[in-house]
Amino acid sequence: MYQYTDFDRQFVHARAAQFRDQLQRHLSGQLAEDDFRPLRLQNGWYVQRHAPMLRVAVPYGELSSRQLRQLALIARRFDRGYGHFTTRQNLQFNWIALHQAADVMDMLAAVDMHGIQTSGNCIRNITTDAWAGIAPDEAVDPRPYCEILRQWSTLHPEFAFLPRKFKIAVTGAAEDRAAIGWHDIGLHLLRNDAGEVGFEVLVGGGMGRTPLIGTVVSPFVPWQQILVFIEAIVRVYNRLGRRDNLYKARIKILVKAEGERFVEAVRREFRDILDRDAGGREHLIPLAELERVANHFRTPGGVAEHASRAVADDIALSDAPPAYRRWVERNVHAHRLPGHRAVTLSLKRAGQAPGDASADQMDAAAALAERFSHGELRVTHDQNLVLPWVRTGDLRALWEAARAASFATPNIGLLTDMIACPGGDFCGLANARSIPVAAAIQERFDDLDLLYDIGDIDLHISGCINSCGHHHSGHIGILGVDKDGDEWYQVTVGGSDGSTLSGAAVPGKVIGPSFSADEVPDVIEALIETYRAHRAGGERFIDTARRIGAPAFRGAADAVRRATAHAEATA
Amino acid sequence: MSKLSTIRFVDPVQDPWQPRPDGAAPVPQALLSFAQWSALRGQWPASLAVGVILANTIDVETLADDLPRWSLVALQFPKWTDGRAYSQLRSRMRYGGEVRATGEVLVDMLPLLQRNGFDAALLRADQNLDAARRALRFFAGHYQGDALRARPLFNRAEA
Repeated sequence: MYQYTDFDRQFVHARAAQFRDQLQRHLSGQLAEDDFRPLRLQNGWYVQRHAPMLRVAVPYGELSSRQLRQLALIARRFDRGYGHFTTRQNLQFNWIALHQAADVMDMLAAVDMHGIQTSGNCIRNITTDAWAGIAPDEAVDPRPYCEILRQWSTLHPEFAFLPRKFKIAVTGAAEDRAAIGWHDIGLHLLRNDAGEVGFEVLVGGGMGRTPLIGTVVSPFVPWQQILVFIEAIVRVYNRLGRRDNLYKARIKILVKAEGERFVEAVRREFRDILDRDAGGREHLIPLAELERVANHFRTPGGVAEHASRAVADDIALSDAPPAYRRWVERNVHAHRLPGHRAVTLSLKRAGQAPGDASADQMDAAAALAERFSHGELRVTHDQNLVLPWVRTGDLRALWEAARAASFATPNIGLLTDMIACPGGDFCGLANARSIPVAAAIQERFDDLDLLYDIGDIDLHISGCINSCGHHHSGHIGILGVDKDGDEWYQVTVGGSDGSTLSGAAVPGKVIGPSFSADEVPDVIEALIETYRAHRAGGERFIDTARRIGAPAFRGAADAVRRATAHAEATA
Repeated sequence: MSKLSTIRFVDPVQDPWQPRPDGAAPVPQALLSFAQWSALRGQWPASLAVGVILANTIDVETLADDLPRWSLVALQFPKWTDGRAYSQLRSRMRYGGEVRATGEVLVDMLPLLQRNGFDAALLRADQNLDAARRALRFFAGHYQGDALRARPLFNRAEA
């Protein structure tokens, strides 16, 4: 994974010192809350229901065991002993007191971490495929490009106060595991017919109350030009994006309103930067820089040797217990190198919120990473952890150890491997709680045989329309809504993140009026039973949903409806 | 390529640049709104230094004929979190006069102003100058090129 240079290290310490100054001015009354808010947001401090929430950046999801142990220490010392991994590959704390915020930033800086641009109306922490650099279907390893983009976007002076937040996702594989169509900018690294590396660039995807999929603004931008091309996009957005209406401020609205004119403005700006600006060509990336950064992502020592020696790469299953087989089937993934596998540590288990990890669990995951994966982990978009460098021969031992540490639930890709935001239990924005709904569904579907029979399915839960739980892209989506001060849940069917399994990215369709919280597990069961009754051959839920359409599901869901939101019943 | 590395804090009491009422005769160091300038541009004497306040919605590319006649451009921050003015300033226009930040200008914006090529800032009245000077000192360097140094870290010798 990326190794910090002296410059990088100095930089995060400088950022921590700057934040301490701002915090002290705020706490001493010199910096009013309204003026402090944008500053703390751009350091990851988001005041919510009970206490400030701190969102720690995990750039493109790569985490070392040393960093994870430090996060565990912060959880113990400053929080209530746990953290929450997010769909954007970050980690959130929920209970840190604001007056301790600067101390926490120092502790993060000590392990090359920070909260820079994890919130606020700026270019956010960049996300990518959690299997970057290890996936067999990868054309180009996106991590060096992600790091170059991280550096370029970090405290970019022109783009610190955009109309709204701005999210960039990158993938370099055939399969899109980063949901790039749902981002403000989606980058697909590929090779053209001549073998040259470049990016297909999508702009204007996003969730929220107007779910839109990104538009291709260029089929191929040579990698050397990508910073300039993105600069052109963000500059056009900064100048022309709406600032009069919070809900119309994302770039997706500008792209939708302007269409081809937007694309033309970006092309013109791109040419102008290169041809007319003093120093406009300085951000063309030289090969030497790409190579320098790529060298930071060297395969850990010993991995290549082991791969070259690996002859038998099969996983011994003949005398293995059924539980192990299931774990291998769901939680163990193919690797580009022979003799290796990537393994998901499931953070989806009964009794804990999806994506949550206690301090002890963080330490346990760090220990597993050190023993089995050269001290490296990844945070996935689905809110799990991945060990990227596991030897095939170590799988059985890893399974035993992961089971003991509660990470071996063999449910990756299944119904209980759901995405959920923290919801109304923590978040000040939420209209409704996510965690109890997730728990009720976990409880209802606790039979592994049934889960396996249901097969691959994406269930996504958001506590409000801000869509942190990506409900739009779930095969089944659940959205918390507020009606007359009560919590209700709107259910969608047929959404897709853009993966091969799920099909082209598309928001799900709403199946009628909202349901009460206690109806939700019944509704999910009704949807699942509808699928099981209608599925043909090897169809997955999403295949059946696309074939028979939302109305069949709506009928089944209506059949279990007991209460209906007053507002809607009388509407 | 490189501008002065310090940003000047405008003292509103000492500031020679003063707004003029509509219809007033041309005087040196008048600070005009863009509408005022538009009305006077045909008759403004070349010998009289003039400054113009630009709304952050104006596309500076349309001002190629005007910019060389101005000694000062005041860019506006109607709210300090409205970052449009940062994208107005461009090396593209090769503007050589003073660029000043006005409106709601807070000390915590200073690093951004400086790196975007502002020469001067008229801070909001409640801002503290000690904090302002501190705000400019936290970072020894940045990753991207900017108005102070066009080259990004990766194109500099020390990288």
